[in-house]
Amino acid sequence: MNARALARSPVASVVYVAAAWLVLVPLFKVQPRYLPPLPVVLADGLSVWPDLVAGFWRTLVETVLGFLAGVVLGVGFGIAFSASRIMERAFLPIFVALQTVPVIAFGAIVVIWFGNTIMAKVVIALYLAFFPIAVNTLRGLELADPQRIALMKSFGASHLQLFLKLALPTALPNILIGMKLAVALSLAGAIVGEWFGDTVGLGVMLLQALYFEQIPRVWVLIIACGAMGTLLYGALVLLERRFVWWRTD
Amino acid sequence: MPDETTAVATPPHLQLVNVWKRFGEAPKQTVAVRNVDLSIEPGAFVTLIGPSGCGKSTLFSMISGLLPPDSDGSLLLNGKVQQDGALLGKIAFMPQRDLLFPWRTVLDNATLALEVEGMPRRRARAKAEALFPEFGLGGFEQHYPHQLSGGMRQRVALMRTFLFERDLILLDEPFGALDALTRSMMQRWLLDIWAKHRRTVLFITHDIDEAIFLGDKVVVMTARPGTIKCEEAITLPRPRDLGVVTTPEFMAVKKKLLAVVEEESLKTFAAASP
Ligand SMILES: Nc1ncnc2c1ncn2[C@@H]1O[C@H](COP(=O)(O)OP(=O)(O)OP(=O)(O)O)[C@@H](O)[C@H]1O
Ligand SMILES: [Mg+2]
Repeated sequence: MNARALARSPVASVVYVAAAWLVLVPLFKVQPRYLPPLPVVLADGLSVWPDLVAGFWRTLVETVLGFLAGVVLGVGFGIAFSASRIMERAFLPIFVALQTVPVIAFGAIVVIWFGNTIMAKVVIALYLAFFPIAVNTLRGLELADPQRIALMKSFGASHLQLFLKLALPTALPNILIGMKLAVALSLAGAIVGEWFGDTVGLGVMLLQALYFEQIPRVWVLIIACGAMGTLLYGALVLLERRFVWWRTD
Repeated sequence: MPDETTAVATPPHLQLVNVWKRFGEAPKQTVAVRNVDLSIEPGAFVTLIGPSGCGKSTLFSMISGLLPPDSDGSLLLNGKVQQDGALLGKIAFMPQRDLLFPWRTVLDNATLALEVEGMPRRRARAKAEALFPEFGLGGFEQHYPHQLSGGMRQRVALMRTFLFERDLILLDEPFGALDALTRSMMQRWLLDIWAKHRRTVLFITHDIDEAIFLGDKVVVMTARPGTIKCEEAITLPRPRDLGVVTTPEFMAVKKKLLAVVEEESLKTFAAASP
């Protein structure tokens, strides 16, 4: 990698932001209440390092489990909607209505159902991840080119063959778009889920920091959440580049 | 064995009897194809020519079983009447666009029909690989469609059609989008392939030269609603090479067909302008 490519890589932009933070905060004498200096934030992060790692790990597990469950359900319902108008008519409006229910209200119900278990967080993450995946799957499946469908039929293809060899590959780029939207949402879902009470997790630490007005800690947690979101999103981008590189024309 | 005697005379490979296709309901109805009678002998290369929008592609959709003909007519394959949809999977049909699948390599595009038929992947690939040099695609097995030129994509689509081994092949303007030079190369190449494999071919084109150069018989369709205007047997000797287009026989046929086609094209224009 040469210097120019390095200067444009995602790692470089992190360095730019850090440098700006390091220089501008003392320069403009920004009050720590608004934005503490970077070294203070880093020192605070190091002081709770074991908790931070444990919390990161727990929230990551909740997010990934909720996301994966959301993928399975979302793709499943997307397929069901595209296969049957009746399913779409019956269920899609319900899902749209559910989306408008604030996640806090839904979360309260989930915690009543599942208690303060990891399951409750996974379900809340799933609830947020599911919808964009289902909608994008449905949209992608509807993009299958009628002339290609006709070609497959002229070869004597069955419904299953049409689905596996044509409709699904056509939909994959759209399914990935849905997944990229959903991964950030499942992280938010996991964190909100932790607010209903738990002992480990980034959301738990965030709530405590807010309660005790530990401003640098809040920034530590913002950075940690951002890192996790970027990590998950980046993994999906790699997956896409490797396996779903074609575009539906 | 009572029908032994009737079976001796081979029936036409494909027969269309009073085939109609109307789209839509009464006041706004489009009659795409009307009263088409056509029969094609086994092993023949028949070219079909007609003004744009006269119903050629619609005719192909019906022959390949994708679109049922209206109930007043019938389609016969090897002398047997075919019910709606019964022709699906029996005819090798190459549509107007190449319709390659962008996520499949050239090799996997070529074997698509074989896969649908349920042939194991290994065998399908081996079968396709053997054809690559003949189709001028050697070394491109693992490329993706977006890495190919228009002519090469068209050859992949042709190979896919050929690998779907059916005795009747329908080609809808396979060379329509190619430049003149590539097109003339592909025409000679197609004749070679046809001479080797001997299948029945029905070939749509807009180009009179192409129709005469390739065909045993040229079928001319009228402007929409399309029906058969005339059929012209082409007796030029085979194998044909480039020189044949300048022979007096070729010229004579071309002159005759040009007059007919011109008349029909004018009708299309007259219908379009108020
Ligand atoms: N599904 C359909 N519904 C309504 N009208 C149709 C349909 N398919 C074709 N048509 C009409 O039937 C007519 C014949 O169309 P077709 O595609 O068969 O023409 P064509 O001879 O193949 O033309 P070209 O040479 O431009 O490819 C056209 O007027 C078209 O508008
Ligand atoms: Mg056409």
